[in-house]
Amino acid sequence: MNRRHVLAAASGIAALALVGACSSGGSGDSGDSGDADWSIPDTDPTATIQVLGHQDADGIQEVIDAFNEDHPTITVEYESVPFDQLNSVLDARIGNQDGNPDVFWADQPRIPALAARGYMTDITDQFAADTGVWDPAPLASGQYDGRMWAVPIANSTQLLYYNVELVEAAGDPLPSAAIEDRMTWEEVTERAANAVEAGATNGLLFGQVNRYYQLQPLPMSLGGSAGGTGDDLLTPDVTSEPWVQAMEWYGELFAEGLSPLGVTPEQSDAEFLTGNTAYMVQGPWLLPKLTDAEFEWGVAPHPYFEGGEVVTPTGSWSLAMSAFSDEREAAAIFMRWMSVEHGGGYAANYASPELPASPEGKEQYFQRDVFDSDAGRLAAEIIDFETSNTAVPRLQTVGFVEFEEIIGRAFSDVANGADPAAALESASSELETAWAQYR
Amino acid sequence: MTAVRRRTRSERRSILLTALAVVVAALFILPALWLLSGSLRPSNEIFGTLSPVTWRTLVPSEVSLGNYLALLSGPFGRSILISFAVCFLTVAIGLVVSALAAYALSVLRFRGRGAVFAFVVISFMVPFEAIAIPLSQLFSGWGLTNTLLGLVLPGIGNGLAIFNLRQHFLSIPTSYREAATVDGAAEPRVLWSVYLPLGGAALANSALLIFLGQWSAYLWPLLVVSDSSLQVAPVALARTFGEYTFDFGQNFAGAIVLSVVPALMMFVLQRFFGGLEIASGEK
Amino acid sequence: MSRSSSAVSAAPSGAQRRLGASPAPRRQLRRRKELFWAVVFLAPALVAIGSLRIAPTISAVVSSLYSGFPGGVRPPVFSGFDNYLDLWGNEAFRETVLRTVVFNVIINPLQVAIALLVAVLMTRRIAAPGLWRTLVFIPAVVPIVGSSIVWSIALRPDGPVNAIITALGGRPQPFLTSPDQALASIMLIASWIGIGYWMIFLISGLRAIPSEYYEAAKLDRAGPIRTFFQITIPLLKRPLLFVLVADTVANFVLFVPIQMLTNGGPQNSTTMQMFNAYRTTYTYSSKNLGAAEVVILTIIMLVFVALQFRLLRDDDRAAKGTS
Repeated sequence: MNRRHVLAAASGIAALALVGACSSGGSGDSGDSGDADWSIPDTDPTATIQVLGHQDADGIQEVIDAFNEDHPTITVEYESVPFDQLNSVLDARIGNQDGNPDVFWADQPRIPALAARGYMTDITDQFAADTGVWDPAPLASGQYDGRMWAVPIANSTQLLYYNVELVEAAGDPLPSAAIEDRMTWEEVTERAANAVEAGATNGLLFGQVNRYYQLQPLPMSLGGSAGGTGDDLLTPDVTSEPWVQAMEWYGELFAEGLSPLGVTPEQSDAEFLTGNTAYMVQGPWLLPKLTDAEFEWGVAPHPYFEGGEVVTPTGSWSLAMSAFSDEREAAAIFMRWMSVEHGGGYAANYASPELPASPEGKEQYFQRDVFDSDAGRLAAEIIDFETSNTAVPRLQTVGFVEFEEIIGRAFSDVANGADPAAALESASSELETAWAQYR
Repeated sequence: MTAVRRRTRSERRSILLTALAVVVAALFILPALWLLSGSLRPSNEIFGTLSPVTWRTLVPSEVSLGNYLALLSGPFGRSILISFAVCFLTVAIGLVVSALAAYALSVLRFRGRGAVFAFVVISFMVPFEAIAIPLSQLFSGWGLTNTLLGLVLPGIGNGLAIFNLRQHFLSIPTSYREAATVDGAAEPRVLWSVYLPLGGAALANSALLIFLGQWSAYLWPLLVVSDSSLQVAPVALARTFGEYTFDFGQNFAGAIVLSVVPALMMFVLQRFFGGLEIASGEK
Repeated sequence: MSRSSSAVSAAPSGAQRRLGASPAPRRQLRRRKELFWAVVFLAPALVAIGSLRIAPTISAVVSSLYSGFPGGVRPPVFSGFDNYLDLWGNEAFRETVLRTVVFNVIINPLQVAIALLVAVLMTRRIAAPGLWRTLVFIPAVVPIVGSSIVWSIALRPDGPVNAIITALGGRPQPFLTSPDQALASIMLIASWIGIGYWMIFLISGLRAIPSEYYEAAKLDRAGPIRTFFQITIPLLKRPLLFVLVADTVANFVLFVPIQMLTNGGPQNSTTMQMFNAYRTTYTYSSKNLGAAEVVILTIIMLVFVALQFRLLRDDDRAAKGTS
């Protein structure tokens, strides 16, 4: 092959491309369906619905079996997609516009983006009677542009776990699990330094290191915003004093060797379980894993900055209906059963403990075996309090996908030693560019 | 006596080179060995033995096949068979298609050969991820979702395999073909009885290339297969990592299973076809 | 059988002589026959490549000329070269292009050179060569998720690699956490995966070199280095070209290790074009902009590959000349 041939082939492709460009016009409707020309029927239709999610199919089967006991005429075909590819597969399937899937798992902070893209059916009228069921943060996460797009099936919060031996070795008293004794980040930093001095490898470990979900409470505790301002939250606000101050504190943790570099979120639980970490911030999903731990452990409430506000992470998954669903009624019955009935059929029947989004569901949830120990009971109280009182949803903007990615990289740069103010400045200008398409 | 001394010198060199080969092989295999030991050891030991680095980092304190049993008894076991079926079909069809095209591009002389070859080269330069979603939507229109054919098809038009075979066919002297055509052999016969027997190693390499492309496919099977009973092994392995959980032991076990198959295949192909080629090269 | 380059270049001229001697109609008939078989032989490959690769590529090129809301459900509007102009006006994107080019200028020759050296070693008279080859090859087939975990742990600032460096008296290195070393670390990992793979193709090439050449060189008292450059390299041109081109393409479209290990950081130091295009297309769901990024990437790749074809040009122009 020589250059002439390369050029010939390339120009051939270019010519074909132009022909294609002229012949392909815009087509298809935009998939909006805000009109309430349907409602959830009192008697079940006979239908088959297709559901797309990232949870393992075996685990979900128990949930579907329970659903079928209540609603035998609706067949649910569940497709499990690996968590890391859910977005790609969703794009491809919804792009087909053929009614598969009818219902899909939606990451709560992405709901505005997915709704704006035309992926979701407006369910405001159909679920109007149910809005009192959920905790405030999960309810808010399903709303965008004054309409409701998704129903929450789970929630999350964060706790401060500690390794009893390492805390004692550092000569510090064990942290209290009582809400009123909540520690400040300043105190935790000092304790982490003591632990490292006494021989712990890691003083303080963030389970979701460098992720917005985990770090959003830091600037907010200091009085900062969630990261965006303006009517539609599309004006970056990550360079304010609280943001810079929070990131300076965060960067110090790594610079001083209190937190480890290079421990990724998927490795953090395993790192804590080796027994080399004094304190760790992580969700309730760590609790079942700790039953195998070879060391004594305890829990305390999520810290805050001295003199600042108490803010905790929250949010999980919701169910949304595809804009192209051809079985809306059956799909809505399934969504309502999963989210509302029995305090949320999903949370009630799924084997691994996932925090429900409603107070009624939480009551059942705390009956599970994991909360049967002393530390477990304390954890339950903390979880109950935080989800109803201190939880703050992530930035509810149509530009969240870009925001999460860009700010996550800034956090990571700060951890790796970049200047906090400069890193946030550069993230801010990147956000300006990325959000321009939505304004 | 000089003959003896020379042999010992070449033997000494052979030992030295073997030692060097061992060192090189060790550098490459060491990280994979850690995966292997992680798949056999109790899960808390995977991270617990990392620091300080000792021989314990690589050697499990107790060996258990639990991860493998748990993995193979789940959907992973069945999906390995699906992966085999997909790879076997793709290699069988893909090799024929590639060999025919490579023969035309290296041996036959016709107007536009260079342009056709350029076309082939461009085809493997376009990243598959860039066309995967639109292509999957085409496949869904053609009714190929949830079919074996839907998994096999994208692997058969492999431009790299054509390129590899073409390079090899070019080095076979044209006098061989001349001789065969004078005897009255038509082109398919020349390809079958002259080029394919002499192309052993290149065919084996192209088979490996096509095989590996399919064996490691992850995004495409997700896009065209929604029925979990037809899902391939790398996708089934993905259930070992979720949003908050990562089952390192099972993931490592799966990684080992998925590596051993193509490695064994390469070993066998090299032995078989590599030997064949030397024999034919010296006749 | 001898497979010398002289035989290769001599054969076509011999063929031409014979062709010249035959009467014109016969030659025409023969040509038509060759064309017939070329069409028959190429048809399956061209149909497969055309429909499964080139056609979607053309539609990707077309979609790069449109602008649309992310997600692809709302119909995009024709916007000409706006996507390209936007990218060109974006400093971060220009830096990404430059970084991609630098990465490939360094890594491709390096990987091929090391793969060649290892291939030469593995074809020497050594004990159990098949075993060592297989061991070097294995990294190429370890699922990328597995190898990314291994390397992310190995290269931790307090990880095993630094433990070894410290034990040998060196200073611990930041590797993936430093903007100065992250790209080099990615090169190391990509090479760990790639070298064994390309070695296999080069071993086949080396074994196809007739041993007479080496015997002749020995009689000439040529040392190993001279033999390598004057015999091995020239006779290895064709497999070398294949490996160089294929390796280049593989490294241009490399993104999974970056995604898993650095996510493009620190400070964008490992953001390369394919990673960027993947993020635009799959994370941000901006299909049209992503298509434009891929088109630019492919064009740059095309330039590299064309140069490589020129650099390692075959001496088969005599054969081509008759077409």
